[in-house]
Amino acid sequence: MATKKPISFKAIFYTTISLVWIFGLSAIGHIVMVLIEKYNPGIKYDFAWTSALVGFFAIYSTRFMKSDGWQSFIGCLGGLGLWFAFEYSLMYGGHRLGVTYTWNGSYPEYRMMKWTFMLLIMVFVYLLFQESVRCNFIFFLRRKLRLMRGAIATGKISNYGPRTAFEYIMVTWTFYVMLMIGYDEELFGAHSWFIYVLFFASFSVFFYLCYKLLGYDRFGANLRYAIPTVTILWNDIEILAKWGMLKEPWVHINWTIMSVIIAGFVISTYLIVKDLRRRKDGMIESKDIT
Amino acid sequence: MRQVLILCCIVFAVLLAGTTRAEDKNYKEKHAEKVKNMEEVFFAASRDGKTIKGVFVEGNSLFNGTTVPQERPYTAEELENAKRSAERNSKIFLLAGDGTLYYPTLPRGQAVTQSAQAYRMPRVLTPEQKREGLFTWATMVPMVGRTVEVYGDVYPGYAGVKGIAIKYIAFEGEYIVGKKD
Repeated sequence: MATKKPISFKAIFYTTISLVWIFGLSAIGHIVMVLIEKYNPGIKYDFAWTSALVGFFAIYSTRFMKSDGWQSFIGCLGGLGLWFAFEYSLMYGGHRLGVTYTWNGSYPEYRMMKWTFMLLIMVFVYLLFQESVRCNFIFFLRRKLRLMRGAIATGKISNYGPRTAFEYIMVTWTFYVMLMIGYDEELFGAHSWFIYVLFFASFSVFFYLCYKLLGYDRFGANLRYAIPTVTILWNDIEILAKWGMLKEPWVHINWTIMSVIIAGFVISTYLIVKDLRRRKDGMIESKDIT
Repeated sequence: MRQVLILCCIVFAVLLAGTTRAEDKNYKEKHAEKVKNMEEVFFAASRDGKTIKGVFVEGNSLFNGTTVPQERPYTAEELENAKRSAERNSKIFLLAGDGTLYYPTLPRGQAVTQSAQAYRMPRVLTPEQKREGLFTWATMVPMVGRTVEVYGDVYPGYAGVKGIAIKYIAFEGEYIVGKKD
């Protein structure tokens, strides 16, 4: 694994930029939805369709890109576009079905999303047995559950774009479903052992994943691995907000904090684009494949 | 490379499109105007005694006699059950201080209405509540058992139960949730 190398300043720099970028993307995604709902809810379904189309074409465009860095970068944005559309589709469904907010405040769209858990499990089972999947967590499960019949998949991946989009969607979906199941007072509850375990597990796994992330010293693999890393940290943010210990700046529209996040996002975007342009002739390295 | 940069610009543009359109000066102004108007109407109505003060009660337990909120407040267990039932779309009523029961509905004139219990009621905040940054809207389910003051159109209703299309709501404390009340 790449983590056996000594950790360089370059790796720290790349990791920091990737984390800031993915975090900024999630925060901006949230505040966009909040602002639309607050000031102009009439456009939300237009926005959803636009996001779906742009997401799809962004993913499609990655087939023309040679660098895995660009593929991952655009793939991540494509995943976000499709995710927006998914959330708005649930919002629309909740509206049509008259789904209420829960008594502990969960929104209708997330109530609906919770009950996609079996669909999520079905997709996950497929991924568990799909031999071309290179996710480290799935590798771990395959080893422990003795699911592999042969050697693990290796070789070149031609396009990381759709994989990154799918990773973004799957990771986000999984953690939303986990949180919603945890918040359900009839199953566990916002102050249950499940949520406490999830909180502390997410907190500790975040640091472990950061450590692993330091092994990837170029954008591409680094961006891809930053997605679960940030999303796991996001669990803690969501739980703290649910406990009333944190007011999310993207929900309560705190422009002072959001300005810092947006500035971080803009700067990290600039640095990523600059780096990817510099490496325009760069090819996928073998260490990125495993 | 130029194509890629153009693509990035498009994607960012879409991401920020919502912000830009929603943040459009007109929308912000309209929103501020709406809030100002809401406060003026609500506080004037409150002064003139045209608002209704009451408690949100859950319909099933009220009508089958499990709870008697007219005579005593919900017990902790009753309240939890009432909220869970409300979450499953049992009807929520507003029981006013004078004993009148109001059936919350959406305004007359719409052929097809959405569930009133999924509707976000705009919340009127006092200056102090604004400083605290409290939620600017509320829905009924988390509000079951809580005392509120509402303003809206009242309809004659049926058999003594009046209809009310709640326009604005005011109440003490935080709407959210996650914290057990």
